[in-house]
Amino acid sequence: MKKPMSRILSAVIASALALPGLAGAAPVKIGFINTITGAEAPIGETMTNGLDLALEDLKKQGLDLKVIRQDDTGKPDKAISAIEQLATGDEVTAVVGPYTSACANAVAKQAEQYGVSEVIPAASKEDITRQGYKWVFRVNAPAHVYARSLIDAALAFGKPKTVAFIYESTDFGSSLSKVGKEYAVSKGLKVVAEEAYQKGSPDYRSTLAKVKGQNPDLVFMVSYVADAILLMRQSRELGLKPQAFLGGGAGFDTSQFEGERDISTNVFSVTQWTPDSRPSAAAFAARYQARFGKRPTYHAACTYTSMMVVGAAVAKGGADRAKVREALATGSWQTIMGEVKFQAYDGFNNQNKVAMPVVQYQGGKSVTVYPPAVAKAKAVYPFPGWK
Amino acid sequence: MPPRALLRAPRGFSAPAFLAYLAVILLVALVPQLSHKPLILHMWIMVFLAIAQGSAWNVVGGYAGQYSVGHAAYFGIGGYITMLLLEQHQVAPWYGIGLAVAGSLILSVIIGSITFRLRGPYFVLASIAMAEIIRLAALHFRDFTRGAEGILLSGIPPLTTPWFTVKFLGKVPFFYATLGLAVIVVSANWLVQHSKLGYTFQAIREDQDAAHSLGINPTLHKNLALMISAAFTASAGGLFALYVRFIDPNIAFGIDVSVQMVLICIIGGIGTILGPVVGSVVLVLLSETLRNPKWLVQAGVMSDESPTVNFIEAHLSNAHVLFYGVLVVVVVLFAPEGFLGLLRGATARLRKRLAARRGPPSRPAAAA
Amino acid sequence: MNVFFQSLLSGVLVGGVYALIGIGLTIIFGVMRVINFAHGDLLMLGMYVTWGLFTLFNIDPYLSLLITAPVLFLWGALLQKVFINRVLDALPQNQILLTIGLGLVMSNAVMLGFTSDYRILTTSYSSSSFRLFGLSVSEPLLFSFLVTVAITGALFWFLQTTDTGQAIRATAQDRDAAQLMGINVKRMSVLAFGLGTALAGIAGALLAPTYYIFPQVGGPFTLKAFVVVVLGGMGSVVGATLGGILIGVTESLSAVYVASGLKELVVYVLFLLILLFRPSGLLGKSRT
Repeated sequence: MKKPMSRILSAVIASALALPGLAGAAPVKIGFINTITGAEAPIGETMTNGLDLALEDLKKQGLDLKVIRQDDTGKPDKAISAIEQLATGDEVTAVVGPYTSACANAVAKQAEQYGVSEVIPAASKEDITRQGYKWVFRVNAPAHVYARSLIDAALAFGKPKTVAFIYESTDFGSSLSKVGKEYAVSKGLKVVAEEAYQKGSPDYRSTLAKVKGQNPDLVFMVSYVADAILLMRQSRELGLKPQAFLGGGAGFDTSQFEGERDISTNVFSVTQWTPDSRPSAAAFAARYQARFGKRPTYHAACTYTSMMVVGAAVAKGGADRAKVREALATGSWQTIMGEVKFQAYDGFNNQNKVAMPVVQYQGGKSVTVYPPAVAKAKAVYPFPGWK
Repeated sequence: MPPRALLRAPRGFSAPAFLAYLAVILLVALVPQLSHKPLILHMWIMVFLAIAQGSAWNVVGGYAGQYSVGHAAYFGIGGYITMLLLEQHQVAPWYGIGLAVAGSLILSVIIGSITFRLRGPYFVLASIAMAEIIRLAALHFRDFTRGAEGILLSGIPPLTTPWFTVKFLGKVPFFYATLGLAVIVVSANWLVQHSKLGYTFQAIREDQDAAHSLGINPTLHKNLALMISAAFTASAGGLFALYVRFIDPNIAFGIDVSVQMVLICIIGGIGTILGPVVGSVVLVLLSETLRNPKWLVQAGVMSDESPTVNFIEAHLSNAHVLFYGVLVVVVVLFAPEGFLGLLRGATARLRKRLAARRGPPSRPAAAA
Repeated sequence: MNVFFQSLLSGVLVGGVYALIGIGLTIIFGVMRVINFAHGDLLMLGMYVTWGLFTLFNIDPYLSLLITAPVLFLWGALLQKVFINRVLDALPQNQILLTIGLGLVMSNAVMLGFTSDYRILTTSYSSSSFRLFGLSVSEPLLFSFLVTVAITGALFWFLQTTDTGQAIRATAQDRDAAQLMGINVKRMSVLAFGLGTALAGIAGALLAPTYYIFPQVGGPFTLKAFVVVVLGGMGSVVGATLGGILIGVTESLSAVYVASGLKELVVYVLFLLILLFRPSGLLGKSRT
């Protein structure tokens, strides 16, 4: 029995595999640069899981790939060393990864130089795909899409006048809040507070109390994995009650956050991918849950998608780097993230256009509420208050 | 190359040691002609940068005995000044690094005037606090530093001289730039060890109060040592940023940068000329071997099917930081004077044994 | 005004936890003059023990203190006997490196054993609060503050009145003199490291219900503990308590009146000022 997702993908790949001559050859080598140790390792692990599931599916479809894994420890100098090993030592055909923006960008430069396709699953820094690189592809949406989707959603649901930003002092938090602020101002919202914080502090109460004092209509938070839970717990303690809590992906998009019903209910978040978006996505989520005992994050889904796309390109181009690049640049694929197609637009190059859905946590589950075309439920707006 | 000449702490200029030093530099300089493998060149560059950082720290930490764990401040300021000048004001990096060095000198005077009032553990903690203050400020004042987003390098202009033009593409220019820096810093260590200035540093290290009573101004000389150290550290930071083409506050000012510099010296041998060199080679090669054992295949040391490579890849690649930690513990407990100390001990024992064997010539004859 | 008092209150309460971490470090530092860079990692171990007891046996995090503290005490004593003891007379930089190495080993071993996933302990009181004079008081935070006060009091009593406590204090004041007076200095060191580790573990357990747990969680706490110890004065339990609360309040108020992103920076500046102008700390006596 086949699952719907693999049916869609196998259709794509089967057509590509119609080319004879691939069977019997040595497996094509693909590099995977990821953060396995260090502070970003929790995300790296979900990405490894996503990749492993993709490899199983590709194998089922008759595509035998040899994946060579490298740990970048979240540091760009290690990432350079990894891409060099992969590009010139192992002579891989293409590379998936790395996770962090700093590493992905360092690798991009080298990938361009060696002529190896790099498919980036989840790094959000805008500039990476704005440097005119030919060999660098990005599956996920860059930072500005997060901010726009959330603010558009809030404006569609109600009439907020003011917004407060609380974000962690990291590349992701800082760039997201910056583009968010610009967009909010352009939409006529007044920014009443802008608070950066260092992750690793157990107490954000004073920051939240200050924000509460400004009485904002929207509270836009960008935070890493577990700080999201901390921020919302302390918001509840203090009784912070805006019209809406907007969570900028990442920490607001984890199974743990979803599980914290006391604090997650009615919070909005934005994501690269939702399990309820299409049957193949739901099947992927179920399979992931069964295998790893937790809900997949979008990082896992993006990595899965990246690997499937690379697999499809290899099925078309074999081990030839130029042919695989050509296949990536010109192809389009139906995946668990919808259609993936690398395009040039607004100064971006080889950038997949992802319309990021906005979700709301309702009854302990994340439900897509915006844009209307893909919404599965009506948004609860304004925030009804804490239980 | 006589190993003894290199291993023995020389008391002054010795022609054989100097010739051996030159020969080693020349041999290493030939590497890019022999191997074009980028990974191998990358690892050399990492080793050279580590040597430059470790030897720079050695001046103030090893010779003057001030165990700063905040040298990331100078490393980062070097990287930031170079990158900001290049990206925002199109100042070419060879001038940029010069200004970065100037900046680090000013910074070292400020930090020194605060931290050198303290001694021992208090000095260590104050040096950490200074580096952290700069890191947090770099994160916060994003109009000036671009905060956590960091600075991406768009390109390095070619260096044009009347005789030649260097394009900063690929590894080779960085290979020679970092090699040059490493040679300068190691030579500076030699000068420090053998100059009058260096003797005052060492006097302060051995007994600050005694040095003071001998008419050495400890504050002045500690500051001088710190300035020398900071200038070289900043140059390494500038080259690192240009090479990696990206810098952010955590990469530049993170506490692990400071710790790494101390580690290099202790693992190699603190307060010696060759210590930081040995420490850099050991540390860079070991952490790379544990993270990516396949570089050995590229270097031609081992074959692709080698069981060692496969073993490390299968079992240790997720645990490379753990092994790094174990190495640190083992070195501190069993080789507190570093690898150089071990080597010295081993050669001393070997010499003794050889001498003993040669000593009474009658014994082997009698045995026969 | 409300914002001011609210920040002051949460600063004091959080400061209690900082104090507990600092007290552990100050005892270790006082008795052995070793800067323990692995202190945050010991706290992390305390968190994992608490988490394990909670998920496996459903033991309440606060109740699990009774298990976490002795377990960590033994672990600390073992670390002292096997590792730290060998470098007591070594150069300070070697002591620092040894504890850095031990910290790396602990955090990475935990990572290999339990993966680097974030663990969240959700108890019924994780985000509950009550209102007092218009301010919201976090229940778990208040409780952990009270535990801290109780432990500090007990510890103070132990160090002041019992023979062992006095021996520990004597060792902290002058190691050689204590030895001459017939105090078993080695045993005191083992005790002190065990005690310090247990206190770090307790702090971890107290943080667990409101914070999150992952192998690298310790780093920022190590630095904070250094600041607490120096502020309070080396080896001074009461000083560390005050230092902890002072830092909690400074962070909290500077988040409001300076900038959230600069609250740690303000703490370090305060730290340097104290080092320069009152080098013995708030309550320290000698610092040779």
